[in-house]
Amino acid sequence: MGTLTRRDFLKIAGALAGAAGLSSPGAQVFAKGLENIYGGKTRILWLEGMSCTGCSVSLLNSENPKPLELLTQYISLVFHGAVGAAQGQTAVETIERALAAGDCIPVIEGAIPLGMPRAQLFHGKPFAETLLPVLEKAPFVVAAGTCSSFGGVCSAEGNPTGAVSVKQFMEHHGLPTHKRLICCPSCPTHPASLIGTLAHLSTVGYPEVDRELLTPVMFYGTSTHDNCPRFHDYNKHIFAQELGDQKGCLFELGCLGPLTYTKCPERQWNGGVNWCVRASAPCVGCSSPEFAQRRDFPFYRNREGLQFAGKGGSGHGGDES
Amino acid sequence: MSRTIEISPLTRIEGHLSIHTEAKQQADGTYRIESAECVGEMFRGFETILHGRDPMDAQQITQRICGVCPIAHGLASCKAQEMAYGIRPTKNGRLLQNLILAANYLQSHILHFYHLAALDFVDVTAVLKYQGSDPTLKQVKAWVEDSLAREDMFPAAPLLPRFEGDYIQSTEINCHLLGSYAKAFDMRALAHEMCAVFAAKMPHSTSLIPGGCTQAPTVERVLAYRTRLRELYGFIKNTYLPDVVTAAGAYPHLWESGRGPANMLSYGVFDTDDQGGLLLPRGVVIDGKLETFDQSLIAEHVRHGWYSADSGGHPSKSGTTPAPDKADAYSWLKAPRYRGHAMEVGPSARVMVGYLDPQTKWIKDAVDGVIGPAGLQPIHLASVLGRHLSRALEAIWIAEKANEWLDELDFNEKPAQKCVIPASGQGYGLTEAPRGAIGHWLSIRNHLIDNYQCVVPTTWNCSPRDDQGVPGTVEQALTGLVVADPDQAIEAGRVVRSFDPCLSCSVH
Repeated sequence: MGTLTRRDFLKIAGALAGAAGLSSPGAQVFAKGLENIYGGKTRILWLEGMSCTGCSVSLLNSENPKPLELLTQYISLVFHGAVGAAQGQTAVETIERALAAGDCIPVIEGAIPLGMPRAQLFHGKPFAETLLPVLEKAPFVVAAGTCSSFGGVCSAEGNPTGAVSVKQFMEHHGLPTHKRLICCPSCPTHPASLIGTLAHLSTVGYPEVDRELLTPVMFYGTSTHDNCPRFHDYNKHIFAQELGDQKGCLFELGCLGPLTYTKCPERQWNGGVNWCVRASAPCVGCSSPEFAQRRDFPFYRNREGLQFAGKGGSGHGGDES
Repeated sequence: MSRTIEISPLTRIEGHLSIHTEAKQQADGTYRIESAECVGEMFRGFETILHGRDPMDAQQITQRICGVCPIAHGLASCKAQEMAYGIRPTKNGRLLQNLILAANYLQSHILHFYHLAALDFVDVTAVLKYQGSDPTLKQVKAWVEDSLAREDMFPAAPLLPRFEGDYIQSTEINCHLLGSYAKAFDMRALAHEMCAVFAAKMPHSTSLIPGGCTQAPTVERVLAYRTRLRELYGFIKNTYLPDVVTAAGAYPHLWESGRGPANMLSYGVFDTDDQGGLLLPRGVVIDGKLETFDQSLIAEHVRHGWYSADSGGHPSKSGTTPAPDKADAYSWLKAPRYRGHAMEVGPSARVMVGYLDPQTKWIKDAVDGVIGPAGLQPIHLASVLGRHLSRALEAIWIAEKANEWLDELDFNEKPAQKCVIPASGQGYGLTEAPRGAIGHWLSIRNHLIDNYQCVVPTTWNCSPRDDQGVPGTVEQALTGLVVADPDQAIEAGRVVRSFDPCLSCSVH
């Protein structure tokens, strides 16, 4: 069992490439890369900043490959605070050895409290002191989820910690991000986007990204709205009027699909069993840099008692101010 | 001789925690912990972020407090909003909220026992001696052998390196539990799929709303949930519970380990009607006696937390003002107390309250049926093993009940009650996360959130000392613990993990 055959690789790579939306020539590239990964060459150092661990949990929802296969056959996950055995001094030393190895790809989950460094401690010191040398040495840096990609809920208006994204943290410290940092937002990160990105990095290298957001185009290039199964309702002006209505475009209730770039309509979530719009829940724009940022831009609109006229609002709110 | 024993960071929990203890060497060379401090190491300021927002944002924002138990936050928020708006969920709404929460309970309990706690007991290296034919175990064996043969810098990461200690000796038991550990990856993800059938996606549901759920029940949805539930129920009954019993058999002394104050608090969970009926009841156990819960008796102390706000107030009137350089403080957690007592919350509290409540005699009967033959008493629920057992038992009860809730869904009724946000209002939502009592307190002014406070399970369990200097529940549970190797305090990790700490929740 120990060694996967070339046929196994092709099969698995096909699944990954399918997740990445690639045609079969792409699959060949993936197969090559997965052999490299299995050789123990791709080491992942997973570090949690100001996070909820939701992206770690989402990683465990991976389908292609499943989590045990991922850990034993695809990557060497040298440290992970939620699932790894290392604790205490053993954990500290493992991270030091990973830093010394120099070839680990750090995956960062969560934002960083730039304005209040003691808001997150690691081994008694501000977490930034552990993170900075890792980001200095890493060949690539992957931001998993919206908090590490853009700040997310942690950096919402009124936040007391001065939370920033990995990109802002690197820029603050003068570290290069060009062709180095790659962001896999959504809250949580989608496992297929994250693992597909890691596979790409370890095979053909840095993928094509959005120049500003550093999100890989292969996963974040199309608006959710454009592929929405309720797009025809939008065109015909058939709109759901109340939360819980099962039919109609959810735009007037606050759906942010037009401003959100994901593959949710195609691959959905959790084994493809459901996703927000299919469940008649307006998209909350969880992969967007704007996610949860503004007090005057609430998630839900078109209701009595709502007094916002915020950006993207449908104008159906109440009149109180 | 005295010395410090610490685990910093204490991993395989949710979030960022360290423990610092003072221990005294004993005649046999082991160390006995004399005092302990739990250090919550991360603060994000959710309560400040929520101020001035649309109240309905709260069930989305607060889910992001925790990626392991987002549903419990979302539901506490929905309940607080429902009270403030003066509405009740429709019958379907109540059932759907129950089904979503139930699925996440199963996900969380499976994750906790196998992927967080089990590596304190199971010797992963025993797989090298595996001679059987199970394909998964053979694959794991080959993986460990291969990484050792290649002299990988990080062999079998992340399952190694680890603290060395008194792992299970038997190769057969280790390999059996490793097989379950492997299977549990798929079962945990399956529970999340089951959750998403109604929750839209997991973690962080978008369909959960005050008044119910946006996802209506349909025949197709019910089938999708039920088929997954049947498989999970089989795993819980035939694998999870027996595995807990197997681990308990290897460590009988852990029925006496990590007791703590054994004062129990449960808000109760799973609404069985819209009149306040609960599957697992609400109550307080102090000095072994069941009392009626009164939410006005909760106070939050911050003397030893990195906050400058007034200390000792009720959550509905508390503030959250960070003071990261405050002297004498050692944690980002506040210290909630009930009538001045440090309380244990979580599965053992739920089971203990149900055990003593005459209205839920079925819980007493079920528990006695398991612990009675083993010669154990209800007080043993407050222990490392008691907490693992309580989780497995309630997982069975919840799975069985979820199957009935599916039958009660009405395909012709609305999934949610319409809500209108009043200009002003107040509400609180009390429910139970997988790891214990969770409460959100909300006040609305001019249609916006004026104050929002969360008191969360691990805030109770891992709290620092209160204003009177009384240690928190886990701090008390660690006191008296004997540790063989002070540099690899595996015993302390077992005690702390038995509470299933969630540090992101506890500070938020």
